[in-house]
Amino acid sequence: MTLLEVRDLRVSFDTPDGIVRAVRGLSFDVEAGQTLAVVGESGSGKSVSTQTITGLTRGATVSGTAYFDGTDLITADEATLRRLRGAKIGMIFQDPLSSLHPHYRIGWQIVEMIRAHDRVISKQAARKRAADLLSLVGIPRAAERIDDYPHQFSGGMRQRVMIAMAMALDPALLIADEPTTALDVTVQAQVLNVMRRLQEQFGTAIILITHDLGVVAEMADEVVVMYAGAVMERAPRRDIFYRNHHPYTQGLLASLPARSGDRLTPIAGSPPSLISLPKGCPFATRCPHVFDKCAETPPLTDVARDPRHQSACWLPHENSEAVAS
Amino acid sequence: MSDDVLLEVKDVHKEFPTHGREVVRAVDGVSLQVHKGETLGLVGETGCGKSSLARCMAHLYDVTSGSVWFEDAEISKLSRRAMRPVRRDIQVIFQDPYGSLNPRRRVGSIIGDPFAIHNIASGGERKKKVQELMELVGLNPEHYNRFPADFSGGQRQRIGVARALALRPKLVICDEPVSALDVSIQAQIINLLSDLQQEFDLTYVFISHDLSVVQHVSDRIAVMYLGKIVELAPTSELFGQTRHPYTRALLSALPVADPDTADSREQIILGGDMPSATNPPKGCRFHTRCPKARADCTAGEPPLIAVLDDTAEHQTACIHPLTVGEDLSTAVPDLKAS
Repeated sequence: MTLLEVRDLRVSFDTPDGIVRAVRGLSFDVEAGQTLAVVGESGSGKSVSTQTITGLTRGATVSGTAYFDGTDLITADEATLRRLRGAKIGMIFQDPLSSLHPHYRIGWQIVEMIRAHDRVISKQAARKRAADLLSLVGIPRAAERIDDYPHQFSGGMRQRVMIAMAMALDPALLIADEPTTALDVTVQAQVLNVMRRLQEQFGTAIILITHDLGVVAEMADEVVVMYAGAVMERAPRRDIFYRNHHPYTQGLLASLPARSGDRLTPIAGSPPSLISLPKGCPFATRCPHVFDKCAETPPLTDVARDPRHQSACWLPHENSEAVAS
Repeated sequence: MSDDVLLEVKDVHKEFPTHGREVVRAVDGVSLQVHKGETLGLVGETGCGKSSLARCMAHLYDVTSGSVWFEDAEISKLSRRAMRPVRRDIQVIFQDPYGSLNPRRRVGSIIGDPFAIHNIASGGERKKKVQELMELVGLNPEHYNRFPADFSGGQRQRIGVARALALRPKLVICDEPVSALDVSIQAQIINLLSDLQQEFDLTYVFISHDLSVVQHVSDRIAVMYLGKIVELAPTSELFGQTRHPYTRALLSALPVADPDTADSREQIILGGDMPSATNPPKGCRFHTRCPKARADCTAGEPPLIAVLDDTAEHQTACIHPLTVGEDLSTAVPDLKAS
């Protein structure tokens, strides 16, 4: 079942330097209970797109649709969005410290959040639920620590608190924007483990935004690779790693130290400015396979006749083996 | 000091005062040699003391006790003035390519700073030297008069590299030099650093929290936990014959960009968080989180020595080191005395 259906999403910001086209025609589906990883580097538009869907990009020019459970989130009014955020769509961000209010106790913040959406629940019941949530995400001695302040928690524990809050009302969709980027690897492993466990238990769909291909390999069912505001390639996880088609996907994987020999193979150059994008394929300026056709923007088309695997590249699509790294 | 040792750290401690009466023991007794021409990797998680140790090495920090030796001279007690000639030989590249460059100064003058400080070249000659450096690190020399804001993150890190190399140092301490960069750019900088190492015979101390980066660049790796080195080994041995349970846990936690491996391996998920460095656990500092901790682990601090059949090159601070192939994912700690 498709939970969220995003079609031709475009987001731009008017800045003193010119119009920044942050997202340029993004479409994707999120299936219930599945994890969709959105991967890309700084400025690829991966965070802006989900922030827009949840109504968090004020002042942006937005077009397109994003149907969630029958409601178009793009045209929905603020009251509707507020009702959905938290209750149906949970969100966690990279920096758990700035997402928690330093002045209020952890438990109080979770209780507030529960009561904002559930007007009939008693304070005691909400507090009990908050404690249960904290132990669910693996906070030791949750019943005692519920009255701690955010600064008394470590980074990993704060991120678990954020997950507890995001999961408080059993949302159908969890948007996790670089949830482990600020954490150490052993703590990252703990947090990813908590996310996996909760997904199994509650069937929550996850949009996982990350720059880390290792995290993608560990967590994703489907993957969308973004570059300069557009989708370069989309495919089930294994296809992205083993039967990829787009030169940008290949370039990203080849840049990884763990996958190279003596010398790394970086992608040459740097990403284009989103204010003055070149015509045609946005990756053309850095692509080792560039040819004259690339002056036209390539559409996303099926790779090896598999509709689940699409690539926005003019290179032949019939036999992906021919170009795969 | 033997001939091939460039820098030696002897039982260095670095403490920082806190608001209370306690001190944070960021580096708590580390001894280590850096060999000429090698890249020594320093890994560990936030708060393990890797950056503090690196700063002690460059004498950016005064050590609390112990000593740092560079080419047969003790540098850890030198005054700022006496340290100045040594600064030419030891340079540092920092993580943040945004924070470490003055935004109001032109790139040419930033890179030219070392020449100005050491009174080396001036005027047209200095400009020529700076432009040579810019070319060397892959920057366009015509951008001499631009400001840091005109450059991308990767280019700014190239500026940092150019500045560090201006005086042809012998030792470069790279403190998380690629951590703020996107992977495709990160690979460019790593390649640049390795080209420069070959060209100028540089020795690197390379600090990173990213094990895959450290594995790629290092000849030897020291793993730190809570102010101490827990394992020190040639890179291939550290990965192939991991002895310390913490090293194994760290390796296992690293996400691998390979679905088959990700699906098939048994991950070791450590419980809890790193304890406070103001009051580290007694005995082995890792025993509170170690999957195979035993009662005797709490008794005394294990020395950093060769264990099992390892050579002196490979040292581990653990009294129950892992054998090759030992499964740590099913181990259960047992701290009760038998």
